[in-house]
Parts: sequence; structure tokens; C-alpha cells
Amino acid sequence: METDFCRVIVIGYGKAAGEILKYTADRQADYGYRLEFIEHEIHALSVTRQICEEREIPFSSMPDKRELGAYLEGIREKTLIISASNNYLFPAFLVERENNTIINFHNALLPDYPGRNAPSWVIYKGEEQTGITWHYVTTGVDEGSIIIQKTCEIGPDTKAYELTERLMDLACEGFKECFDTVLSEKAEAKPQIFPPGRRMYRSTEVPGEGFLDLAEDAEKIYRLLRSVDYGKTGVFPPLQTLVEGVRAEVLRYRKVSPEKKKEEAGMLYLPLADGNLLKIKYKSR
Amino acid sequence: MEEKVLEILEEYCEEALDYVGENMMEEGVIDSFTVINIVSELEDVFDIEIDAKYVVADNFRNKEAIMELVRRLLEEA
Repeated sequence: METDFCRVIVIGYGKAAGEILKYTADRQADYGYRLEFIEHEIHALSVTRQICEEREIPFSSMPDKRELGAYLEGIREKTLIISASNNYLFPAFLVERENNTIINFHNALLPDYPGRNAPSWVIYKGEEQTGITWHYVTTGVDEGSIIIQKTCEIGPDTKAYELTERLMDLACEGFKECFDTVLSEKAEAKPQIFPPGRRMYRSTEVPGEGFLDLAEDAEKIYRLLRSVDYGKTGVFPPLQTLVEGVRAEVLRYRKVSPEKKKEEAGMLYLPLADGNLLKIKYKSR
Repeated sequence: MEEKVLEILEEYCEEALDYVGENMMEEGVIDSFTVINIVSELEDVFDIEIDAKYVVADNFRNKEAIMELVRRLLEEA
């Protein structure tokens, strides 16, 4: 198997980056490229460093954007940069370099839901299907030509972190399917056709503007709760609400059957359409 | 308490029950998404808040570390 790429760099965090790192390491012998990993965002539960140590893959941590940009700019040989769950926006001076090819995994079906936290927005908007897109990186955010897409269903109880995990699995599947064509520069990438009024989601935006209105329909409230649920990872601040006119912070929620209802302070229950109750634990402020 | 923790682990990560090492995350027994599920369940079952500062690999290195975390949080509650 042949490629003109001398070097492959994986940048990202989490499960997708880890799995892609393992796969690209496994394929090194087929192509002979040099492989390295760059950690740009540091996460408490990340295992990419461990993977690098086990497989003797050079590992660098570069949380500083300027340092990362300067490092990548200094690369002269033909390089494939794989951006997997990575929030670093590649500046034009890197994207336009002829020796660089950059591909990125986006966790939605582009051209829809570009930008940040797409799994949250698809849940919040009540979509029943979403997916992943591998695309070439251009100077516009999530605007490059599409290499491959994979779809999945969004269940009625799916939480943001569960969907994120599913999308990471799909990203790995898609990556394995397109890796050879990308390396051989034979991928049939399709330009995106942008719908009018296409909206870019920014990192500062929170579904529902971060406020849970208890007067809303319970299904909508449940969607909002699920859409911002990334466990303790702090992707979004805790939802705020008003309980009988008093400001409160949502601590956690759960769908329970009616027989599990227990009246207690700081807890409220809302009836859901399927006969269950939405239990919300809150803390008054 | 210990029995309930084991029940939660059985539901979300059965392999953790038999694990006897010192780092379930690094050894691939448990991943970050499973940790989110376990934390959510522990909070609900024990009615405790597990702050993000406690959600680190060391507190999930094995089942004993998880029990110790819960024990500590119950004492503080």
C-alpha cells in the first residue's frame, strides 16, 4: 500500500481520538508513515497518553494555541492531520499549506448543526436522527467537502453523553472505511451545499439559554435536561430554574415510574406522555 | 452501602467486579462514558452530590476506590 504522506498526526481527546490513534498505529506498517499524537485539550479521564506509551507513539501536550500553530507550521513534509474530537480551529495559514491535508470528524450530519456541541442541539431540537461527518478542513468552520457520513437514531431517552459516545463509535467506523482512500488521495469528497439561514452553534450557546422553565411542556423540559447532560464534564453550567418564584439550580433528573414517587424537599415530579414521571432534584439558591 | 455500589457496577460495568488491579481506566476496564453512568447512579441511589473534582481516574481505579469515595461523601453529607 502506498501513500505520499510521510507523517500522520492525530489531534483530539476522548474515545474517538484513542480508537483512531490505535487504528493509525496498527496501519503504520502498511504505509510506513510516522505517527504522533498531540493533546490540545486536557481531560481528567483521558487515556490517550497511556495508549501512546503502550505503543511507543510520540506524545505531546500543547494546550496553547499559538504553540500548536507554530509547531504545525514548522512541519515541512507531506502530512495528514487527523482532527478527532478536537476543538482547535486550524488557522488559514495551516489549512492552506500545500504539504498539509487536514481531516476532521464532526459529530453531526453536515451541513446541518455545524459548530460546537452538536449532540446537544439535535436532542434539544427533537431530531430523531443524527450522525457523523468526516470532512476535509477548509478555512470555514465545518464547511469542507464531505468524505464520509454515518447515521444513527436518537432515542426518546437519549442523553447528550450517550449520543456523544455513539457518535464517537460511528466516527471510528467511518474513519476505518475512508482511511485508505484519504491516504491514497482518492477519496471522492462531496462539496457541502449550505441551506439558507444555516446556523453555526457556538461554544458559548446553551440549549434553552441554560434556563429550565417549569411552565413548559414536560417533554420539552426532558429534552432540555437530556441535551445538556454530559455528566460531570462541565460542558455546560448547571441549568437554572424558578421553583415557586425562588431561584434554583437543577442538580439531577431521572425518568421514574409513578410508584417510585417520593415526596421530599428539593424534588419535583412532572408527568411525561409515556406515563412515567420526570423527577428533578434541585437546590434553591 | 457496599452492596449497592456492587449492584451499580454490575449493571454498568460487570468486569469491574472481578478487577483486582489499580487502574481500571488505563487498563480499559471502564471508560469515561461508563464513569458518567456510574456517577449518575451513585448520586441517585445514595442521594449525594459527586462534584466534578472527585470524578478523576484515581477515584475509579477499582471497586474499592469507588466505595471509599461514596463512604467519604456520605460522611460529609
